[in-house]
Amino acid sequence: MNAPGASISLVGHIALLALISFGGVPGVLPDLRNFVVTTNGWLTDQEFANCFAIVQAIPGPNMILMMSFIGWKVGGLPTAVAAALVTFGPSCAVAYAAFHYWERFRDTIWQSRIRRGLTPVIIGLVTAGGYAMARTVDAGWIGVGVTVGAGGLLLGSRINPLWLLGAGAVLGGLGLV
Amino acid sequence: MADSLEAGPPSPRITLPALFVTFLTVSMYGFGGPIVWARRIIVEQRGWLSDGDFADILSFCQFLPGPNVVSISVCLGAKFRGPAGALAALAGFILIPWTVGFTLGTVFLSYAHTALLQGVLRGVAAAAGGLILGTGIRLLRAHRRRPIALVFAALAFAGLAAAKLPLLIVVLGLVPLSIVMAGPAPAR
Repeated sequence: MNAPGASISLVGHIALLALISFGGVPGVLPDLRNFVVTTNGWLTDQEFANCFAIVQAIPGPNMILMMSFIGWKVGGLPTAVAAALVTFGPSCAVAYAAFHYWERFRDTIWQSRIRRGLTPVIIGLVTAGGYAMARTVDAGWIGVGVTVGAGGLLLGSRINPLWLLGAGAVLGGLGLV
Repeated sequence: MADSLEAGPPSPRITLPALFVTFLTVSMYGFGGPIVWARRIIVEQRGWLSDGDFADILSFCQFLPGPNVVSISVCLGAKFRGPAGALAALAGFILIPWTVGFTLGTVFLSYAHTALLQGVLRGVAAAAGGLILGTGIRLLRAHRRRPIALVFAALAFAGLAAAKLPLLIVVLGLVPLSIVMAGPAPAR
């Protein structure tokens, strides 16, 4: 457990990062890693990587949980709760206010044009995020097969994706991925 | 359907408890990436939005700071039921799932170094990556008659995944160009 000053400093830094995380929280993770691991030495590199890996495999709001786990390691439960609140609180207020105006001008020509231009780029970025996640797995035929199989079955069948994640977990647990 | 990007009228049957339960479900299923589940539950199962409308809200929220799916819950809650709807959706998304996830995660973290758990995490990441790829392709289907949209989606994917450019560069480089090239919406 660190001094209370560490918790305040961490929560303040997370609040700042969350407010500038345009495009999603994963984009600010490199900065957070520098702050937590390199600058302050609160977590080791491996602990930080574990926090990221764990939140992919548990239910719940994963980036908020990741901030909470880092908060928990630095200052226990109160810091974990504070880290969660500053991750989504301010950005929710921004989203609510911005959406109000977005909907109000929904039928204008300029907004329709922005939507038609913005959406394909964002879909490409989201898809690249999936590719990056698959690539964190060491390249191997079974790992690639799990990724292609999960994507293909999602598109080509009505199977519940939980089965696909479960199959990946079992193959990984057997040491095959 | 003249333009698949247009909204239907919001259904009056979307109640506050329905918002709470729906976003609770999205969050609890949200292994790997909540976007997969948000699209499956909101578009396929509930039928609250079309793929095109979902992609519009997603891109709007992706452009804002903060966790995207949390912003989606706030925006959809507000769209269907105003401020109370935003709060109901947000509470559904956060309260119970955070408590469950935090409890499970703190247990998992103490076993994170074991070979078994590392293997399981790799397997889940491989499958979750495939699900996100599949969801991206699904969302792109709403734009399948606009070759220029497919080109910009492919460029964004290649910029991040192949060329490994910083996110900000890809967004600032492609979005203005994509908006200029999109042209005005077809007359209805």
